[in-house]
Amino acid sequence: MRSVFIYLILFSVLGIVEVNGQDMHHQHDHKQEALKAGEVQSGHSLYHLDNEFITHRNEKVKLSDFADEPVIVVMFYGNCTQVCPILIQDSWRLYSSLSESTKKTVNVLAVSFDTENDSPEVLAEYAKDEQLDISGWHFVTGKDTDIRMLAMMLGVKYQKDSNGDFAHSNLITVLDAEGNVAKRVEGLNQPMDEAAWLIESVSKNSDETK
Amino acid sequence: MRSQTNIFAFTIITFVMMMLFTPEKASSQSVRVLVPAGSFHSVLPEVEGEPIQVDSFFMDETAITNEQYAEFLRENPEWRRSNIPPIFTYDGYLKTWKSDLEPDYEEVGENRPVTRVSWYAANAYCSEQGGRLPTLNEWEYSAQLLGIEDEAEMNRFSSKLISWYSGIDANNLPEVGSTGIETTTGVKDQFGLVMEWVADFKPIIADEISLDCGTVGRMQTLNSVYSYAASIRYITRMSFNPKITTGMVGFRCAYDESDRSDQTKHEVTL
Repeated sequence: MRSVFIYLILFSVLGIVEVNGQDMHHQHDHKQEALKAGEVQSGHSLYHLDNEFITHRNEKVKLSDFADEPVIVVMFYGNCTQVCPILIQDSWRLYSSLSESTKKTVNVLAVSFDTENDSPEVLAEYAKDEQLDISGWHFVTGKDTDIRMLAMMLGVKYQKDSNGDFAHSNLITVLDAEGNVAKRVEGLNQPMDEAAWLIESVSKNSDETK
Repeated sequence: MRSQTNIFAFTIITFVMMMLFTPEKASSQSVRVLVPAGSFHSVLPEVEGEPIQVDSFFMDETAITNEQYAEFLRENPEWRRSNIPPIFTYDGYLKTWKSDLEPDYEEVGENRPVTRVSWYAANAYCSEQGGRLPTLNEWEYSAQLLGIEDEAEMNRFSSKLISWYSGIDANNLPEVGSTGIETTTGVKDQFGLVMEWVADFKPIIADEISLDCGTVGRMQTLNSVYSYAASIRYITRMSFNPKITTGMVGFRCAYDESDRSDQTKHEVTL
């Protein structure tokens, strides 16, 4: 009796969500097409997120400050000593595989979701330790709400456990010049050639339009 | 001459006072209720047996109304129906409104909770009020502060809850504050009105949970009717994605205690 009941409940609830799910597929397809054609899908740009973040150099930044050039985004946290260094290293591997001219224009955002511990000062220390306190690299934190919104837009999941550690997705995202998601590399130690190729082509595109 | 200056000064002061205080009255700002620190048992399997600690925080007494949301849109044009970028919502955003700034009050009612708002929009609203969405644990902790001691009564309440979850009538929502369900700290309608967005509505465990009976069975770690109702709520919420706009999901905001003390200081200096 109870199991029939719960099926009824779940179906009635999911029915509502399902309608929206169709929209999602529609929009997803649309986006894929747009990427192939190299068109601007400004409605799907992450640069619509107008909130302010703060870097390890204590600079206030908005995502849209990085527009016009490709951006590599990775989410991590400072106290993560096993997985996150690999994730940061992966981002470095992608960055360092780029041509010298592209390296000068591309930005890397390493965004911490540990808003409690990773102050700009802590992140500055982290950047120094990783030898990544270099131009174009920004270790970023912000208000919890804003970080969570960014994570949701990227599809990065994270959750704090009772020890203060985070369970989290391992994801490196490449944004094109308009702030659309152009490439997602999920997992650790993944090949980066495709992402690198994409950054080079986007970077060239923006050179041409200048 | 002097009295003229006095009158002039008085007029200025009155005007300034009006400037300072009128917007607050007009803003129909919601009442914020202090939810003191405490702990509760979650139905999520991963935390079986271990109570979850929650720090004290403030939360809106009621869900955000259509009127309050319309006011937010007047100040924040980028979140209006015709402007909101598709990365933040599906097409159904505020679908039942007459226009960008006009809720169809005949249909949705002035003091009914705003629904058909995506998680992103709810976040933007709360940020604008100097708050945020409550976390899942904050919301759940507050919700179970019902002060129902009697087990039979709790079972009756939970059974009502289950039937409510099975049939939320999105087209006939009651007004906020009208359900008569209130926590011991004075938070109203966490049940009986709409489902509500929380900051982390999709905990990582959501990936491993499929929406089937076996899962619900496993989630009922507390072995009570209430935990059965809660399991339905958790699972429903986990099935959302941040762009959905359904008629049965609204929200209210939470505020850190430190923010509140800043505000109090501000008021004192006035």
